Amino acid sequence: MALPTFRKQVSLSPSLSALDGKDLVVPGDVITSDTGFMRGHGTYMDEEKLTASVAGEVERVNKLVCVRPLRTRFNGEVGDVVVGRITEVQQKRWKVETNSRLDSVLLLSSVNLPGGELRRRSAEDELTMRDYLQEGDLISAEVQSVFSDGALSLHTRSLKYGKLGQGVLVQLSPSLIKRQKTHFHNLPCGASIILGNNGFVWLYPAPGQQDEEAGGYYTSLEPVSLSDREVISRLRNCLLALGAHKVLLYDTSVLYCYESSLPHQIKDILKPEVMEEIVMVTRQKLVEQEG
Amino acid sequence: MRDTPLSNCERDFLLKAIQEKKRLDGRQTYDYRSIKISFGTDYGCCFVDLGKTRIMAQVSCELITPKENRPNEGLIFFNIELSPMASPAFEMGRQSELLVKLNRQLERCLRNSKCIDTESLCVVSGEKVWQIRVDVHLLNHDGNLMDAASIAAIAALCHFRRPDVGIQGEEVTVYSTEERDPIPLSIYHMPICVSFSFFQQGTYLLVDPCEREERVMDGLLMIAMNKHREICSIQSSGGIMLLKDQVLRCSKIASVKVSEITELINKALENDKKARKTGGKFGFAESLPQERITALKTDVSHVEMSDVKEKANEIVQRAEVPPQTVPSPVLTAPGTGQVGEGLENSWGLKEEEEEEEEDETVELKMELEEGHEEKGRGDVVVISDSDSEEEDVVILNQVTTK
Repeated sequence: MALPTFRKQVSLSPSLSALDGKDLVVPGDVITSDTGFMRGHGTYMDEEKLTASVAGEVERVNKLVCVRPLRTRFNGEVGDVVVGRITEVQQKRWKVETNSRLDSVLLLSSVNLPGGELRRRSAEDELTMRDYLQEGDLISAEVQSVFSDGALSLHTRSLKYGKLGQGVLVQLSPSLIKRQKTHFHNLPCGASIILGNNGFVWLYPAPGQQDEEAGGYYTSLEPVSLSDREVISRLRNCLLALGAHKVLLYDTSVLYCYESSLPHQIKDILKPEVMEEIVMVTRQKLVEQEG
Repeated sequence: MRDTPLSNCERDFLLKAIQEKKRLDGRQTYDYRSIKISFGTDYGCCFVDLGKTRIMAQVSCELITPKENRPNEGLIFFNIELSPMASPAFEMGRQSELLVKLNRQLERCLRNSKCIDTESLCVVSGEKVWQIRVDVHLLNHDGNLMDAASIAAIAALCHFRRPDVGIQGEEVTVYSTEERDPIPLSIYHMPICVSFSFFQQGTYLLVDPCEREERVMDGLLMIAMNKHREICSIQSSGGIMLLKDQVLRCSKIASVKVSEITELINKALENDKKARKTGGKFGFAESLPQERITALKTDVSHVEMSDVKEKANEIVQRAEVPPQTVPSPVLTAPGTGQVGEGLENSWGLKEEEEEEEEDETVELKMELEEGHEEKGRGDVVVISDSDSEEEDVVILNQVTTK
């Protein structure tokens, strides 16, 4: 049982002051009765009144009113790092599931084939597509462009992207991932993490020296040591705890959560009361770090 | 929208677990999930919870002209709807294969088995008969839709009351519920569907598959039976080869399960009837448990206890001596004892405003320390007045507690 200790007031005031400009609505809330506005995404007209159909914040651009939902499928932008799973192998492209409304597309011309980057894609390459990526494989990729219907076009034209080997996938909501300069982190606790913008987080044992240069499609099937596996399991449970309490995920918050979870056993982290305690301590540390 | 695909790891994990006779939720091979049956305020509305699968059935009736070749029989119409609420894979208005399969199976199970006396639904032969319409809505999909749908449909039919009809010569009067009590349908028997899922080409069998198990299964065998051990319909899908004794074994298991489920339905109907008669509250709103915000509350989960004793012995043998949590009090001077190091008061109380409280806390602390000291020493010592600032003096050799 947690005894009362003196905790610095994790005041909601920073977020409250930010809320002054924001307008949060839930489905069914009337946004405005003024008929002069055009309705955008997330709204509908209910007897001359503009009503919200999703839970989120209201955005107003001149005469256009739309509601941006807090919890939604991944809406990709160019340059986002995503972790996805191959669902189909088609002619000259793969279909990747990235927790968005439509499956993303990975063109054969957007991947790094072994044998050099500037090789022209031959008919033989098409036939051996399945040798590189099969249904069920996990990849990390970057969004190259967005089609007109909203589907994303991905590319893995860099050594840091490609097929993912041994590790753990955690599926969370995309709105919890903070946009940062880099989404690939080597955590000091002994594991590495890829925070995909689409909410898929990939945890894997820190690569050895030689693996750094291989990249692409080299997946090592060497057994992972028990200590590495324990670190990764603990990280996974911490991510679930942070996700359950809607804490923004980035490398610092994940690290603080890991540190504050060390006194507990790995499987205890999944209990709701332990989750609450760990997340509270993490929030404390984050607030202290900011101010 | 397409359903999230099942990854290879999950598939392998499920199949391996099934090979070791383990299921995801800890059930045994022949165990059903917990079934909850509740009725709504109207007659003929039934909710069934099979684990997390949730189905609602509603029965209604209307007078129509009968079929030409069967002028004195009423009609029964079944309709299953897969609502998008149940799973992101379902789309409103789309005729999917699963929907057709469920509809056909429900019709075969309930209509072809002649469980309802259709002749009693006749009002005026050749002109007016009752058409009973059963609407089944799927509210949440967690596997084994057919079983839940059949339980919901038959429970709703048993619960339903049709309006009373009076015939005087040529005139037919339909009495409303206020004028005359509605009449229940005459139901001969209750056919219930039991689903068996097969894995690894028929080697392994599971009863009542959940949604994950359904995704990795090879084939499905549905047996509709009533409690009198009469098989109403059998359907095998998925193209697996089953041996004769496998099917016989499944039918035996089905008869056991069907009798249990029939008893459950009868009990639920009894409870509902009692509640309505005594004027108690009934209906859907009452069947929901009072939900209080209990962050630490979790559902009862079944734990495998077969090898608990050996594991417990192992743990006890390998356990180290637990560290001493309470340090013994340090006697700094006669008459005082100290437990722990001197810490700053961490209650964070401001000194200006809450002086009194601080005094109290300081006193409390002293009490605690002295309490520890008393417990630590077993001697018979009288605490002298001069050291303590309290009014009460506690003498140890008396059996008094503070």
